[in-house]
Amino acid sequence: MQSLFWMMRGLELALLLLLCAALQSNSMSPPGKPVLLSCRSPEKETFTCWWEPGSDGGLPTTHRLYYERERLKGTHECPDYQSAGKNSCFFDKNHTSIWVDYYLTVVASNALGNATSDLLKLDVMEIVKPDPPENVALQVEDREDSPLLHVSWEHPHNTDIKSGWVTIKYALRVKQGNSNKWKEYTSGTQTHFRLYSVSPGVEYTVQVRCMLDHGFWSEWSNTSSMGIPNYLQTERPFWVLMPTLFVILCTVVMFILVLKRKNLKQYVLPPVPRPKISGVDFQLLKSAPTEDTINALNQNFPCMVAWKDQMEDYLIVTENDNRFQPDFFSSQKRKNSLLFPSGLYLHSEIQESEPRLNDQENVGKRSLSYVPAQEHQNPSLNFVFTEAPDQTHSKHDASVKPFPNTGYVDIQRCGGNTQEVDEEQLQYSRVKEVDSALILEKENITLSRSGYTDIQRQEENTSEGYSRVKEVGGDSVVILQQKKNLSPDSAYQEERDYYMDYKPRSPHVTGFNRTGLCTEMNDSGYVDNVLNHF
Amino acid sequence: MLTDKTGTMKEVGLAALMLVYLELSMRVGSAPICHHEQTGCHTPPLEDLFDRVVQQSSRMHGISSDLQSEFGRHFFPSKNIIEKRKCHTHGILTPADKENTQRLGRDQLTEVILRLLGAWADPLSQLLQSMSLDKNQDLNHHNINKVLEISDMVHELRDGVEKMAEKMKLLGVLGNTIGYVSPEILAPSPTVSFYKQGELNSMDHHDLLYCLNRDSNKIKNYLRVLKCTTLPGLDC
Repeated sequence: MQSLFWMMRGLELALLLLLCAALQSNSMSPPGKPVLLSCRSPEKETFTCWWEPGSDGGLPTTHRLYYERERLKGTHECPDYQSAGKNSCFFDKNHTSIWVDYYLTVVASNALGNATSDLLKLDVMEIVKPDPPENVALQVEDREDSPLLHVSWEHPHNTDIKSGWVTIKYALRVKQGNSNKWKEYTSGTQTHFRLYSVSPGVEYTVQVRCMLDHGFWSEWSNTSSMGIPNYLQTERPFWVLMPTLFVILCTVVMFILVLKRKNLKQYVLPPVPRPKISGVDFQLLKSAPTEDTINALNQNFPCMVAWKDQMEDYLIVTENDNRFQPDFFSSQKRKNSLLFPSGLYLHSEIQESEPRLNDQENVGKRSLSYVPAQEHQNPSLNFVFTEAPDQTHSKHDASVKPFPNTGYVDIQRCGGNTQEVDEEQLQYSRVKEVDSALILEKENITLSRSGYTDIQRQEENTSEGYSRVKEVGGDSVVILQQKKNLSPDSAYQEERDYYMDYKPRSPHVTGFNRTGLCTEMNDSGYVDNVLNHF
Repeated sequence: MLTDKTGTMKEVGLAALMLVYLELSMRVGSAPICHHEQTGCHTPPLEDLFDRVVQQSSRMHGISSDLQSEFGRHFFPSKNIIEKRKCHTHGILTPADKENTQRLGRDQLTEVILRLLGAWADPLSQLLQSMSLDKNQDLNHHNINKVLEISDMVHELRDGVEKMAEKMKLLGVLGNTIGYVSPEILAPSPTVSFYKQGELNSMDHHDLLYCLNRDSNKIKNYLRVLKCTTLPGLDC
């Protein structure tokens, strides 16, 4: 019996469980509470609200939106459930008022019951969020080798800008290539924007958004991309390279000029040639002219005959002075030889003639001293002619040997170009003295050009005596008048040995192969007596 | 001697006249200027007036928005305040959408603007007073400056709109029916009595700022519509 009781109980329990299971699978309940999500006005003229429904309780559930409004009596229902999609309510212009408060609720209802959402209060002024701008267009502008990106767009077409009902402002953002970093710019109320810092060869992606009054920003527009072409860059290196090369070239040239400035100076401003006399050092002269230097000067001075147009024959006459001691002569000679520059051949001649001169001691007559020319091919001395047989003593007879008593007088032709003298034929005239007249017999001796030089005499050591030329008879006769010597040394005067010498009165250049001294006649007709210090 | 005296008298009189003239001309105030164009007084062109007024109203609305959001954030974290409130300018009839605004016409629109502006002069000064007395010192200093700025702006804007209205009247754009309205007549009831007797608390501050924000937005919008209907140009 008790077991039967328990069986009944179990059966009830099972039935109850079954009922519960059946009830579970087919739950029908009143709907869950819907939730009003948000409302939005895209242009400040209409607005839309969205809600989220709760559970429907297994039964078909409807949702309704009810609202109340400031300055409007009663409760009203949503005018449009369709236009904005499911679970939404769209308020058109006629039902939208600004600056008034709306109080919204959503009611979900099914067979079993209702559910009401929380109240939502809104002012349309505060829920303004526009649509994103439309037709974003990119364009590359090439301006003077610097490209720029021109972005343009349009306002969202449902906003009324023209009437002034809303004020719109824009913003855009740009990113390069594949990076994720955006750079933002604001555009104000303009519907275009220029990007200036744009690199060629890079792709740029742009997005634009807008805002009405002081409301919310719209969503970003769809991306628009554009790459900057590369061709714009090739021209630039050329224009950078050219000035750089030019600058480098200029620096190199300047450098070279600075290094070679001395040479450049000589080339551009050559030094003015100054008169220079070979063998004469002007520095020596500046200090103090000494005997040596003056001898050198004498030696070096060229014959300046240019001012005499006519070719003149000059007679170079020297006469021996028997009085002189041989050693004096030799010493003098040595001195003279020392004076002569090395270019002269005279040195050796003189020295060789020295013993000869010494031998002439016993020559008691006036004699001419001369240096024999045939021993050397380059006789360069002045010839001294002897007076004729009257000569009593002459110390220098020995030197006469190669020649007869007659001597030769070097006649030089002076005039014109002295350089032509090199190959000049020297004309020697035999001198014969008859009484006081010198008679010249012309003989032409051709001498080689080389090495013919002159003897310069020291002017200082010569006591000059002059014999007046009485008469010049043509080409071959010079008549002298014997006169008393003016030199302080009376001994010379007594001796009546005198040297007649045509002294050079002007500088003489030894650089050439001169063939003798050129002298000129004094206007007064005097011929110098110059002691010949051979 | 007699001539000297008369001379100096003349000079003095001239100087006095000049001083009086300068004194009168320098008075700006809220009195309408340039009743007659023949007097040769100089006012800026209408576009400039409109631009300045619109800019000023926009700035004012911006500051009031900032104020309200700050106040709301600090005191009332929840967005939705359920309780219904009324602003003291509730009595002024204002168009609530674009069509009505455009339908209203220039004259009435200008008048509405002027009324709104007039209605806020007193409440703002009261708000300032009340805020400066507030115990809570944290955000008051920053906000008080803003309220002060808005208060000045309201005054300036009112003057500007009045001058603009005068100019428009001269140009024949506005009818002569618009007269000078005093703020006492416009405001339906004083602010303090409307909200509460005695001191305003922070709740009242918040309400006041909310109403201010709304009204500044209205003013801005109305001015823009007025400008674009009167001078349609690039900005519209």
